[in-house]
Parts: sequence; structure tokens; C-alpha cells
Amino acid sequence: MEHHLLHICLQSLKGNNNPPSLQALASLRSLIINPNTSDSTIYSILETLTHSLQLSTNSLTTHHHILKLLTDLASHRTHLSSQILNSIRSSSLLFTESTQIAAESLTSLASFSNSDQNKIDDQLFMSLCFAATSASARLRLLRNGERLGIGTHMLFTVFLGFTKDPYPYVRKASLDGLLGLCKSCDLFEDISVSEGCYCRAVELLQDNEHSVRSAAIRVVCEWGQMLIAAKEGNDKIAQSNQVFVQICSMVRDMSVEVRVEAFNALGKIKLVSEDILLQTISKKVLAIMKEKNSHGQCTAERFEILASSYAGAFMHGLEDEFHESLSLLMDMLNDDSMAVRLEALEALHHMATFDCLNVQEIHMHMFLGSLLDSYYPFMASFRTWRDILRMKLMSSLFCFFMGRSHGNFAAHIVKEVSQEIEPVLEGQLGLDSARVAAFLVLAISAPLSQNQNGQIIPPRLFSYAVTLLGRISCALSEVVDQDTLLAYLSQCSRSSTLGAEVEVESLLPVVDDVVLNRTKKDVNNPVEAPMLQTGNETSKVQPVTSCELEYLTTSIVECQADELDEVMKSVNLILARVRDAWFLVQSRCTNVALRALRDCKRELAMLTSTSLESSGAMAFTLQYLQVMKLFAKIWEHAVWKIRSNETGGLEYLFGKLDMRLRELRLSKVEISCSPATMKKLSAIISHIEILNDKGSIEPSNILMDAKKTVHEIESSKAGISCSLFLITNLDDFFTLKQFSLCSRVRHINAELNVPGNDSENPLRFVSGLPVAIPLDITLYNVSSENRLWLTMRMSEESTQFVFLDLNILGGCNEVKKFTFMAPFYRTPKACSFSLWISIGKRSSFVLGSEGVKGFLIFHMPRILIAFSLCFLEAGFIS
Amino acid sequence: MAIECLVLGAGQEVGKSCVVVTINGKRIMFDCGMHMGYDDHRRYPDFSLISKSRDFDHSLDCVIITHFHLDHVGALPYFTEVCGYNGPIYMTYPTKALAPLMLEDFRKVLVDRRGEEEQFTSLHISQCMQKVIAIDLKQTLQVDDDLQIRAYYAGHVLGAAMFYAKVGESAMVYTGDYNMTPDRHLGAAQIDRLELDLLITESTYATTIRDSKYAREREFLKAVHECVAGGGKVLIPTFALGRAQELCILLDDYWERMNLKVPIYFSAGLTIQANMYYKILISWTSQKIKETYATRNAFDFKHVHNFDRSLINAPGPCVLFATPGMISGGFSLEVFKQWAPCEMNLITLPGYCVAGTVGHKLMSGKPTKIVLDKDTQIDVRCQIHQLSFSPHTDSKGIMDLARFLSPKNVILVHGEKPKMVSLKERIQSELRIPCYLPANYDTVHIPSTTYVKAHASNAFIRSCLNPNFRFLKRSKEENSDQVLRNTNSTAPLQVNDERVAEGILIMEKGKKARVVHQDDLLLMLRQKKHDIQFGYCCAAQLENLVETGNRDGALSHSDKCSCLQLLFKELSTYFSGVNIQDLGEHLQVESFQVSVCLKDNCPYRIIDSPRKEAATIFFCCSWSAADEKLAREIISAIERFNLSDNLPCKNSK
Repeated sequence: MEHHLLHICLQSLKGNNNPPSLQALASLRSLIINPNTSDSTIYSILETLTHSLQLSTNSLTTHHHILKLLTDLASHRTHLSSQILNSIRSSSLLFTESTQIAAESLTSLASFSNSDQNKIDDQLFMSLCFAATSASARLRLLRNGERLGIGTHMLFTVFLGFTKDPYPYVRKASLDGLLGLCKSCDLFEDISVSEGCYCRAVELLQDNEHSVRSAAIRVVCEWGQMLIAAKEGNDKIAQSNQVFVQICSMVRDMSVEVRVEAFNALGKIKLVSEDILLQTISKKVLAIMKEKNSHGQCTAERFEILASSYAGAFMHGLEDEFHESLSLLMDMLNDDSMAVRLEALEALHHMATFDCLNVQEIHMHMFLGSLLDSYYPFMASFRTWRDILRMKLMSSLFCFFMGRSHGNFAAHIVKEVSQEIEPVLEGQLGLDSARVAAFLVLAISAPLSQNQNGQIIPPRLFSYAVTLLGRISCALSEVVDQDTLLAYLSQCSRSSTLGAEVEVESLLPVVDDVVLNRTKKDVNNPVEAPMLQTGNETSKVQPVTSCELEYLTTSIVECQADELDEVMKSVNLILARVRDAWFLVQSRCTNVALRALRDCKRELAMLTSTSLESSGAMAFTLQYLQVMKLFAKIWEHAVWKIRSNETGGLEYLFGKLDMRLRELRLSKVEISCSPATMKKLSAIISHIEILNDKGSIEPSNILMDAKKTVHEIESSKAGISCSLFLITNLDDFFTLKQFSLCSRVRHINAELNVPGNDSENPLRFVSGLPVAIPLDITLYNVSSENRLWLTMRMSEESTQFVFLDLNILGGCNEVKKFTFMAPFYRTPKACSFSLWISIGKRSSFVLGSEGVKGFLIFHMPRILIAFSLCFLEAGFIS
Repeated sequence: MAIECLVLGAGQEVGKSCVVVTINGKRIMFDCGMHMGYDDHRRYPDFSLISKSRDFDHSLDCVIITHFHLDHVGALPYFTEVCGYNGPIYMTYPTKALAPLMLEDFRKVLVDRRGEEEQFTSLHISQCMQKVIAIDLKQTLQVDDDLQIRAYYAGHVLGAAMFYAKVGESAMVYTGDYNMTPDRHLGAAQIDRLELDLLITESTYATTIRDSKYAREREFLKAVHECVAGGGKVLIPTFALGRAQELCILLDDYWERMNLKVPIYFSAGLTIQANMYYKILISWTSQKIKETYATRNAFDFKHVHNFDRSLINAPGPCVLFATPGMISGGFSLEVFKQWAPCEMNLITLPGYCVAGTVGHKLMSGKPTKIVLDKDTQIDVRCQIHQLSFSPHTDSKGIMDLARFLSPKNVILVHGEKPKMVSLKERIQSELRIPCYLPANYDTVHIPSTTYVKAHASNAFIRSCLNPNFRFLKRSKEENSDQVLRNTNSTAPLQVNDERVAEGILIMEKGKKARVVHQDDLLLMLRQKKHDIQFGYCCAAQLENLVETGNRDGALSHSDKCSCLQLLFKELSTYFSGVNIQDLGEHLQVESFQVSVCLKDNCPYRIIDSPRKEAATIFFCCSWSAADEKLAREIISAIERFNLSDNLPCKNSK
């Protein structure tokens, strides 16, 4: 069959010099395609085809077909490709009309064969290029130029020449070719060649076709970089600037493609003068630039044009509706030049401030990498950080990793920030607490890094972190669980306290007598007015904090307890040290004092509670310590005016104090068996209030009054030893007396738990029907007169209350433990929902001396319960 | 043929945009706006200038409206229905949808509130709109055989477009109002690179350069948030379309992010309807909104509710969008009356308010009292925030557009004169484009491009298609003096591909113009190609040579050679860097040849009497026209040479 067919074909082809019929060619094709065709047949076909290719009588179409067949043959029998290539090569020049086909065949052939000998030589390529009248053939040749193994110099010449082609696609192809050459070889020792190429590309930046423009940008960028690499010193910078400016001028192109290309190219440039970069940030022509120019040589007008061409390039990028430009900025962060990175960060900072930075994961690593650069000016990074942290996307988790892997840097930042963590809040707690939390996470993660040399995170930060434990552990839930974190934190906060203690001790005798009768000067800031408001804000945060800490409310009973166990002893020791610390506060050593107080706190945390009483005492002491700390800080603000300009800080502290005091106050009021303490406490309140009211009293008067009162106090009240604070009736004097805890302290506390419930194991419910929630409730020191209720909150709107009747539930002992089935009536029409449950307690207390009655809800631990819908059995429904 | 541009409105002012352009005999009216500042005849453009006989149908080929703002479309019903224009009117789809809303609203304000007699009725508006032909972006529309128009996206407001008009070979672009930076809901203006004779651009902000919009947005949000957090109410008087939507997107977004629960209200009526149009016309908004459209229509505001009049005095904070924008009356004034006396509240003012409105009074200074009429006074205790959002491009944007389009002429309209003057200077000095700022009723004449169609011969086309590039090494500044000296210094490689330049234009009487290749020409004329050679025989001083040579004056061959050698050496040192070839009989530089002339009467010699002085030797030079400059330099150098001083073979006795 095969031979028969071949015979027929060859007959029709070979016999005469007439061009082959299409039919014969078609049957040849079938033979070629068939993989089973024997080699001998193929050879004879090849021979025939080669022969007919040489015929001058061929029409254009026949020629076309023959070439096609040869190409097919080469593709099916690759070992023949070189032979075929040679035959085409020798014949193709004869037929100028069919150069397109010839070019096509050649390119495809060349791509089949891998060996070098099969490549087209330069001469042929050149002649084909010039002979190709149709743009598409030329395009094909140019595109495959590199694949065809043409000499680089020849290719370069051809490419450069064809950048002048009237067809935009040819121009683009030749530009692409130039780009490829730039990558593949560096044998252009003659710089003027590179320059010529670069200049040509610059010219083509103004091309009418956008695809040419974007190709030109690529070439300008790449060849520009070659030029930059070739130069030294000032020339290098000048060249780099020139390239940068050229590309900047394309940033406002109308075509998105071009703009994206331009931004990408900008990102690749490694070195740019700072002033130019600055100019790119602003759309206006900057004054510095003008100044610089005044002693330059180019005329002002020319300069203006130049400057305006790149002015605001970045801003345009930022405003672009197509957001690719961001990646450019990220690229800039990889830059060698410090100035560039600075600027990029500046821009990022800019963006972060406006909340429009959408940093992707990939970019983030790069971003942080640059921040970690040790050369990097510290303040800039800090500032950026501060704003970055405001971003939602900036998760604490990230901080954690960051701190862990780059401990040194984290320590740096923390060191800077720790001074400001509190003042920086400036009353905007709601907004900034996330930021503070992020800082804290950063801080606590730092010691986990391997290379921790020198920088030590202040332990107090760990204690801060404890207060935000809930938030932090929530954020880090993927990495560590809460218990581990707590253990870690407490361990860290305990370490390195000894040194501080010694220091405090040695300082004490010096300051002791100097400071006793310091008078309190007026508070020179009229910011106290919105104190209540601040207090409210604080209270929003407070429940979270307190519930995590698990001592929600404390109460003290000042009774004649005669047994002082170990815990009490140490608690009293701590309290004694608090008084000492207060002297320090008065002697302006606030920071030392605060450190001492924190040490106290840490010591307190180390005590293990053996009994219920001792834990109550500890809870109380902790709160007392916190109040003292706040007082110390307020003292610093108000008396020493160290940070008197930071009014917000003081405001915030007052708010916090107010909150703490309220907690303390509540507990006292409830017991109402300690009139002396009550008085003191109300005095504190009034003291604060008076402080607030009197903004401007003349100092002399204060001094006079103060001295008078000091005498009064010392004569009248010196004997009281077990009072909390001794405060003057007047507003100006405040001193702390020794206070020792010799009593039993009851700690009112409640624990709430739903056994076996979490998001994995939800409770079942039927939509619309009530559901019972089994609650394990443990109450400490709650008497049956107290009224407790459960608050069940599903959403903002639907909250349900259930009262707990303690009389029914059980006797009145100190620890009450019971299981309560809480009904929840309004189950939603949803597959699943979650419920917040908290225990509230109502109590009355006396506010101040006026005896105003008020109510306050205790925030008890809340729990989150997950539900999921269960379907009733069919029988139940019917 | 020329372009004639008659400015009927918005010449050196803002308001009643109306420009009538005549290109190659076709007359187009761009925009037909009204002036909001006048109540008399100055409100409308003076249409009688178009045609004395008021036969507008024949004197105008079409009317093009760029966008729906009243200062661009306000006079259209008047022009079509009252003046009687019946020709085609073109505008984009959104403009066609929204313009009647604007017109109707304006008519109501005129008639109902000011009690003026109406210039046009609702019927007029609807009839006028029936004549409108809608056009899509980048759609080329053939108005008649010669005139074609195309719309390009302009930003500014929904549906705003720039219009390209082409008659024959003359083309122009009228921008209308446009914005080169995208805002929250609209993209930036976009246009192709076109060959233009004329660009008519707005110049509202001819000197302002605005920095990032983010700062402005932040300020606005901060002001609103602070007010709301303090329990105050925020009144945002806006125009129904455009700013309202942008601010709303901004606020809605912010509300979402900050998890605010304070209600945002839209006063009923036009704005809700407009929101609907925005929802439908999503393809005319910015890229971002289009992208999010897949998941959510950005104009489906989550936090926005309809406002009810009873809510004016409802307790608690809220944000309210109310029309009209300048608090000139209507609902925004009503709310203003109620809310202004409370310190907690906030009023935001649009960027521009017409004099006489409450908005203008609030902007100028900080009044504590505003007197509405004899009986009503409003205590203003609330805070006031001025918005600085603008949908107009800044001067950088105008420059960028002009640079991108590179038209042959620029006309500035829709701006304030002093600022326009400074922009004009910039365009002329930086872009080197002639720029005009005609006042109202001025006419600018601009020469237009006319092309003559020529038949191109096959050889010419082939020569155009075939690459013909040469590489040149030239310095950047090609000064006559530096051509020779600087060739080897910093010379960037230049590519030269002069294929088209080799054509020859033949215009014969009674025949069409033809462009032919030079080979064609020779064939056509049946002539041979001649090259022009210049010849000159110059004299050089050569004293000592004569003594050594033949006294008859005929120099021997070796003498000739040595003379040439001598000259070669001299020239080489003088023109270092130029490739001088010594070809034995003659020296060659490019096409310039020099050889020793032994003839007594050389035809190229200019010297009157052939002095047979021994000291003189003649060099015959010839060159082709291309190297004229080079030849002159060499000759003048040769004539200055005194070769005798450094004769190499000085055989003095």
C-alpha cells in the first residue's frame, strides 16, 4: 500500500519538470504523518521534495505546500531536520516572494533541532530579514532571533535597526529582542553601543503604540542598568537618576499596561538621588530642588519641565485606580540605597496612616526584612511601626513571629516604645489598645529569639502583657495556648528582679527625711473635666482585663484575726515596701519607685495561695499595688510636671485610677464595717475631684495651707496605723502611711463553666425552642442575700437575664458549687449560634460622704457557648 | 481650510460652557450650558452669534454634550425647544439618563421656589431628550460623510466624556470637565494618543497642584467621626449626583471598618433615584468598583437609610446627606435651621458655593448668626468643615494631558483668567504649543491640517516596507563646527531609517499627485541618474619643493606623491579623527577627493592669472553635494597651509 502510494506520487512528481499536483502532495503528507512509513519511503519523499523545491516553475502556493511538507517531515523525523534545513536554506533565497514561508519553515525547523550546526547563519538571517516584505514574517524572524542561534552582534544590529520599523509589532519585537540580548550577554564592551540602544529606547517611550511604549520601558530599565553598572562614582549616580527620571515620565501614561510596566521598572532601579525621590513623593516642584538647581547649569525653565515630569510619580502611583503600584513600593524596600528605602517606608507610612495599605503576605516578609536592616535609622522604623500597627491586617501573630525571629530588633523597638506605651495612649484607649497589645506581643516574643545579645526586655512589660493575656493569647492561639503563655509570662516577669530590689533599698535612707513634707503643687492642666468620660472608656476595657485575671472583686474585712499565716506575713512585708516606695515617688524617683512596686507585684505573684483567705488577701494587695502605681504616675504628672504637656496621659491615668478605686470602693462598701477606710477612700475621691476643680491656685497659698495641714495631721491622726491612706482634708497634701494587713480578706469570686462545650462540641438545640444550658457555677464568699443573675447575650439586641436564687440553690458557705440548668428561650433560626454568659451581682454602696445610693453590676467571668442545630426525630414533630 | 473656534460661554470664566467649532466647514457645538450666577439674558449663551437668521439646523451640524452638569447642559432645552434647533444631539448614555433629572430639578427650583417665569417646561425637557442620540465610550460615530466623533472617558461625574471630532484630516478634542486622578467612585480620564490640531480643555484649577486625596479624605472622616462620637449630628449638603455618592462610599466604608452604628441618611427624592442610576451604570465607574461589583455593588450602601422628616429632631447622632449642596433652600436649609444652633453638630460645606447662598455665608468667615429674611435668624453654633474634594483635574493633570496628546494648538476655557494666563505661559514654554484663552464671543482661527491624497507607486511602497536602516555615530548637538571634531567623543549610536524620505512627489497638471520611488522617476522621465560633483582647484604655498623639483614646473610623479603625502599628514593632524584615505593618486574623505593638479588652465581654478610661481602648488578637489560642509572646511584648511615649513624631504643645498 505504502509503496503503491509512493509510486503514484513519485510518478506524478518526478517524471517531468511540471510542478507537483496538490493531490500528490496531499498523499505525500499522509505518508509523512503516518509513523509506520518506512525510512526508505521517507528518504525518497525527501529527495523528491527537495528536488521539486528547486524547480523554478513552481507557483507560490505549491512552494508554500512543499515547504510545509518539509517542515512536517522535520517535525516527525527529527533526525532529518538538519538535512531538510540545509535544503531549504539553499533554496529559500531563490524565491523572494515566499520569504514569509521560508522564514516560517526555517524558524520552526531551527526550533526542532537542538544541535548548533543546524542553526541558520547570520548572513541568511540578515537577508531573510531584509527580504521579508510582510511584517508578520519579519516579526517571526525577530521573535525567534535568539533561538536561531544568530550571533549576538548581528542580532543586536538587526534589532536596533528594526526599532525604526513602521510596524509597531515589529518595533515591539525588536525591543523585546534587545531586552533579551541585554540579559544573555555582556559582551558590549563599547559603551556607546549600549548608549545608542538606550537612547533609541528612550525615543520609543514616546511611541504611539502602547505595547511599544511598555516594551521600551523595559529596555530603558534593563539597558539603563547596564549603563549604570558600567559607570563609576558620580557618573553612576547621574546615570541612575537619568534612567529613573525617564521612567518616571511614563508613570502618567494613559495606558494601564504602560503604567504598570513603569512602576515595575522603577522598582528595579537601585540607586537614585534622595532629592529626586523626595520629588517623586510630592506633586509640587519642591523648593529644595529649585535651590539645588540655582547653582546648576541648566536653565530654570528646562529644569522645571524635568522636575515636573517626575514630580509626584509616586503619589500618582498611590492614587492609581489599578493597584499594582503597591508592589513597586514593596520592591523599593529591597533597594540597596538607604535613601530609597527610607522613602519607600515613608510612602508606606503615608499609606498606613490612611488605612489603605493592603499588605500581602509575601510583601510583608520583604517589608519586615527591610525594617530589620541594622543600618536602618531607628526612629523612622519606629514611626512606621507605630502606624503600621494600626492596620487591621497587622496581626499580633505576625508580631510574634517577628519578635521571635529578630529578637534584637524587637528589643530595640520595645526599648523605645516602653517609655511611651502608656503616655502614648493619649486617651484613645479604644483605638490604641490593639497597638499596645501588638507591642507587648513583640516584647514578649523577643526573648524567644536565638540571638539575644545585650538587649533585655524590661520585665515589667511582661507584667503588662499579663493584663492583656486574654487578647494576646487569643491572637496567638495558633502558636501557644493561654496557660503556657501565662506560665511563660509570669516566669519572665519574675526574673531579674533582684537587682532592682537592692537598688531601691540602698536609695531609701537617702531620700527618707528629705521628702516627707513635700507639698503638692497645683495641677496645671485643665484636662480633668472629661475624666468621667475617660473612665467610661476605660471601663470598656476593664472587664476584659479583670475577667482574665480572675479576681473580679475583692473585699476586705477588718476583723480581729489572730492567726497570721505565712502568706499574710509576706503580704504585709510587701505592703511595707509599698510605703517605702512612696517616699521614692515623692523624691522624684518615680521610675525607681514604679520598679519597686512592680517587684512587689511580682513577689506577690510568686506567693502560692494555700487557703481561701490568703488568696483574697493577695487579690486585694494586687489591686492595692495597682492603685499605688497609678498614684505614683499621677504624682509624677501632677507634682513634678515631668510630662505636664502630655495632658492626655494624665487624663488617662486618672480614668484608670478612678476605675480601680471604684473596684476597691465597692468591696468596702459592701462590707461596710470599716468606717475609717471608707472615709479615706471617699477622701481620695474628693481629693481627686478637688484636684480636678482647682486648676490654678497660687503657689504661695498652697504652701501656706499645706504647712498648716501638715501640723494638723501629725497631731491628730498620727496614731492610726491600720488605715489605708492618710489624706488631708485639704487638697494639697498627700502622704502615705504604713499600712499592714492584719485581717482576713474575703475574695468574692465566681467561676462559670459549661462542661464539655467548645466550638468542636457544641450543644444541640432546636431552632425556636428553648434550650437548657448546663452551667457549673462556683461561688466564693457570696452570701445568700446577694442577688445574682445570669446575662445571656447572643447579639446586641437579644439579651436574656436569669436570676439565681441562692436560697434555693444551697446553703451559705464560703464556697458554693452547683450545677444550674439555665434556660435560653429565644433560640434563633440559624444552624448555629454562640452565646455569651456572665454572672452579674447587684449591690448597693455609699458613694462618698453624701451617701448617694447607687448600683453597679459586677462583671463576672464570661463564657462563650457554641450551639449547633439538632434536628428533631420525626416522631417528635408529628 | 481652518479651524474656527467661537466661544459662546465659559471663556475666561466658569459657567455656561458653550463652544462652537468649525472644522473644515463642519460646525459642532460643544456643550450648551447655563450660567448659575445670572438671572438675566446672560444666563444663556448668545446663540444669535451662530446664525443671524437663527437658522440653527443649517448652521450647526451637531451638538455634543459632555456631561449632565447644568453649566454644560442647562441651556439645551432652551436651545432646542425655544430657539428651535432640530439637529442631532450627542451625549453618553448616563448623561442622557441623568441630564433630564438635573434639568427638571432646576426647573422646579426656578419656578416653584423663586417664582420666576419658566424658560422651558417639563415637556420641553422630554422633547429635547428625544432628539438626543446616545453614544458609548470609544464608539466612533459617523455624524455625516465627513464628520466623525468619538467619546472618551473623562472621570469628573458619572457619564462625563471627552469628545474627539474629526473632519477630513483635521481633528480636535474637547475635554469638557475631566479628572486625571481617580476618586472613590470614578476612574481617571483616559484617551488615546491622537493626532490633533486642537485641544480645548477646561482649566478650573489652572495653577493648583493638589497633593494626595488621602489626606483630604482622612480630614473629612476625622471631622465626621469626632462629631458623631460626641453625639452630634452631621449635615452634608451635597448635589444629588457625584459628590454625594463619593462621600457616601467613603463613609460607608469607614463605618464598616470602624464598626460604627450611627445611621447615615439620604434625604429622599433625587438622590435615591440617582443612586439607582449609579447602581445600573456601574460600567462607568472606577476600576475598583467594577472589580468589587462581582461580590457587591458598591452603591448598595450598607449603612445608609432613607431619611424621614420626623427624624430631624430625633435624639442621638446621625449623618445626613441633603440637597441642595449650597444650602440655598430646600431640605438642606430646613435641616440646617434645626441643627445649626447646637454646638455638637457639624455642617460640611462643598468646595464651592455661589455668592448669596447660606453655604457661601458660612464659608466666608465664621458667622454666629445668619439672617435668612426679616423674620428668621439662625444662630450658628455648630462646627463647620469645608470639603476640599473636587472632581476637576489640577494643573498638573492638564499639563499631563496636553503633553500626552501633543496637539498643535490648545485653547483654554472654563477657568479664571489670571490663572489661565499662567497656565498658558507654561503650555507655551514647556510644551511649545501655541495656546489661546479666548473670552466669551471671541473667535480663534487655527490653521488646520489638510492632506492631499497621493497615489503611491509600487516601488515606493516596497521601499517603504523594506528596512533601510543605517547606523550613525553622531554627537547630540550637531553644530557645524563640531561635526568633525566631536565625532569620536561621546557619540551615541543613532539609527537612521529613511525609507519614506526617498519618495518623490510628482504633481502634474490634470493628474492626481503621485509619490514614486527615485528609480521610478528615472524610468518615467526616461533619464539617467546624474550626480552633481563640485570641483575646485585650490592653491597651496610650497616654496622649497620647487627647488628640489623640476624647474619647468612639471612635477614628477614622485613629487606629486610627496606633496600628497605632505597634505595627508597635515590634514590628518588638523582633522584628527576623520577617516582620511590615501589612495595614491588622490586623498579621499567621504566623497571629497583631492589630487595634485598639474594643468595650467584648470577649469576649476578661480585665480585670474595663472601665476607660475614656484611657491604655489595646486590641488584639485571634487566632492558631491552631501559633503559640501566638509569640503569647505578642508579647502579652507588647505589654503591656509604653508607646507614648506615642515617639508619632510628638504634637500636644500
